[in-house]
Amino acid sequence: MSYNAALTDLIIKMADDELIQGHRNSEWTGLGPVMEEDIAFSSMAQDKIGHAWALYRILHENLEGKDPDTFAFHRPEKDFKCSHLVEMPNEEYGFSLMRHFLFDHAEAIRYESLLDSSFEPFRILSKKVKGELKYHTLHANAWITQLSQAGEDSYQRMQAALNNTVALAAGIFEASPEYEDTLVTERVYPGEAILYQRWLDRIYPILVKASLNLPDPKTITPAYGGRQGIHTPYLQPLLKEMGEVFNLDAEASW
Amino acid sequence: MYGGGYIFDEPNKKQLREEEQHDEPEKLAAFEERIARGEKIESGDWMPAEYRRQLIRLIEQHAHSEVIGALPEGTWITRAPGFKRKLALIAKVQDEIGHGQLLYNAAETLGKSREAMINDLLSGKSKYSNVFNYPAETWADVAVIGFLIDAAAIVNQVANAKGSYGPYCRALERICYEESFHLKQGHDAFIELATGTLAQREMLQDALNRWWQPIMHFFGPPDKVSSHSEKLMQWKVKMASNDDMRNQFLDAYVPKIWELGLTLPDPALRKNEATGRWEYTDPDWDEFFRVINGGGPCNAERLQVRKWAEEHGRWVRQALMQPAERKAFPVA
Amino acid sequence: MSNESLDPRVNRLKLGEAGEVVKVAEGENWNIYEVFHQEKRGAHHEHVGCVHAPDSQLALVFAKEQFGRRKKCVNLWVVKSADILAFDVEDEDMFANNLEKTYRDASGFKVMEKINKFKQSK
Repeated sequence: MSYNAALTDLIIKMADDELIQGHRNSEWTGLGPVMEEDIAFSSMAQDKIGHAWALYRILHENLEGKDPDTFAFHRPEKDFKCSHLVEMPNEEYGFSLMRHFLFDHAEAIRYESLLDSSFEPFRILSKKVKGELKYHTLHANAWITQLSQAGEDSYQRMQAALNNTVALAAGIFEASPEYEDTLVTERVYPGEAILYQRWLDRIYPILVKASLNLPDPKTITPAYGGRQGIHTPYLQPLLKEMGEVFNLDAEASW
Repeated sequence: MYGGGYIFDEPNKKQLREEEQHDEPEKLAAFEERIARGEKIESGDWMPAEYRRQLIRLIEQHAHSEVIGALPEGTWITRAPGFKRKLALIAKVQDEIGHGQLLYNAAETLGKSREAMINDLLSGKSKYSNVFNYPAETWADVAVIGFLIDAAAIVNQVANAKGSYGPYCRALERICYEESFHLKQGHDAFIELATGTLAQREMLQDALNRWWQPIMHFFGPPDKVSSHSEKLMQWKVKMASNDDMRNQFLDAYVPKIWELGLTLPDPALRKNEATGRWEYTDPDWDEFFRVINGGGPCNAERLQVRKWAEEHGRWVRQALMQPAERKAFPVA
Repeated sequence: MSNESLDPRVNRLKLGEAGEVVKVAEGENWNIYEVFHQEKRGAHHEHVGCVHAPDSQLALVFAKEQFGRRKKCVNLWVVKSADILAFDVEDEDMFANNLEKTYRDASGFKVMEKINKFKQSK
């Protein structure tokens, strides 16, 4: 049934983004720039992975998906639908903060739009994660504005990070042509084009406050492909590593 | 996670010993009476210089142990199998950093800045628990660390939480609460492997064999050779002897290992029912001192990773530094 | 570093040479803020510890995860440690006689005794 297929596609996109972003951010646990931030950033990584888990469970319980562990830890790369933004390896902390800022606002806007989705599990989940996402964006906004106003070196790093990530982040809003109309007509969510616009409207004033230059959206070429299973070279090694223990014996209980 | 029973002391303590001679005898007597009555000492109280020095040393090394302790388990953060284990491991390693934060704060109340403590860690002047200089080779190592090393740490920390210094006790209270989650999730992962497939059991047995000696080392050298204990026990800085804590640990946890049909690599290990004490082959104490002095399999890597983290976080910290402000220590 | 680490995360870092000198400057871990948490609405805020932060905004952001990530918490305060004014510990004797000053205490007034005495005298 095409409605179920469309819903499944959307959930996998969202969940894979959350899982890979959470995984990348968890790599900072124990290695952050200062202890307090290490703790905060780790909590948010856990939240992302938790959101992914919740979404895979929705798939499992409502749409005949596999059990979440098998689905996440034992799936070929081509079946992943995450965006290229989350696949990128961690570089310096400024990159991770900027990715966190762009991703989390996109995530917050998406969940806000699901508060009145026609699909009940989305309504329940989006209500549940609202407070977490409020903290994530508050944290991101504080860092982005502070570091951008803290001297030339720090400002340059943040502007460079924005330049390097904005097209990748725009790739979050890659629609699946075969499913998009169904999802919008069935009022599951408002569609990627609208979310993209809302996201630009949301991040723009914060970037202005931080004196960071957002490139003219017309000049941004979003990094598409992830939603169709076409990935950067960074995803395959990440998945291999993530599943290393699980796949010693995928039937065993760990 | 873990203080460990052994507090490393740098050789040059002559100068402070001399300072101690200038401590006023009346104040010292009042201080010692206070401790004997079971009262807590707070940061603003008068205290002998030697008490302050020993506490800084103890709490600082405990804090370093938490921060370095995040690394062996961190080895498996990106590879933990399944959502539950993945989240629990990240949360656990995060807690270790959180514990380090609480402990550095407690030590700062005694007048040594966090920056100074970090520098002493990086330069090798200040030590951390030896056990973290060993590698976590397989996933089963995470289960052994989470179960047994955390269990050992709890024995040590529950004892220390009854000590005399208020800020340290308060930090430990919160830490012990969180350690009980660590122990539980470690035990759960341990049992999962012990009751799993043959390959899982073998993986666990192998990890247990490798970690047994570091665990026996954990509480420090035997009482008969361990120095500087008497005064520290009177001042309630050190709350139990190394051998007593080791015995308490063996008593509580060896049966939990044996009941799963696993073995420990010491044929002499047994409880003497007559004395109530455990008997065991003395672990190699030369190895213990060799590792403390930098000769362990992971000493170099642990410090290099910490240096990387400090080096790479520097621009973030310095960008937001406000040099004009008065530096203060925590009040409690 | 020549040896491969067992931690794939560490292998992705470019570690310095062993023996490299790395020093953190004094003040690099910022200022210290005391943290007070409120467990439920209507309760007092209670002191729970402190965080290092460059300003009060980030202090609050940090405090939320370091002191509010587990148990119940509905609100937090942060205040710079340097702004806390406290008595010296030696001044504890100022409070010593509190319990003797019964005129400040409900139990110091025996109303019923007087009423009963009055009634009996009738």
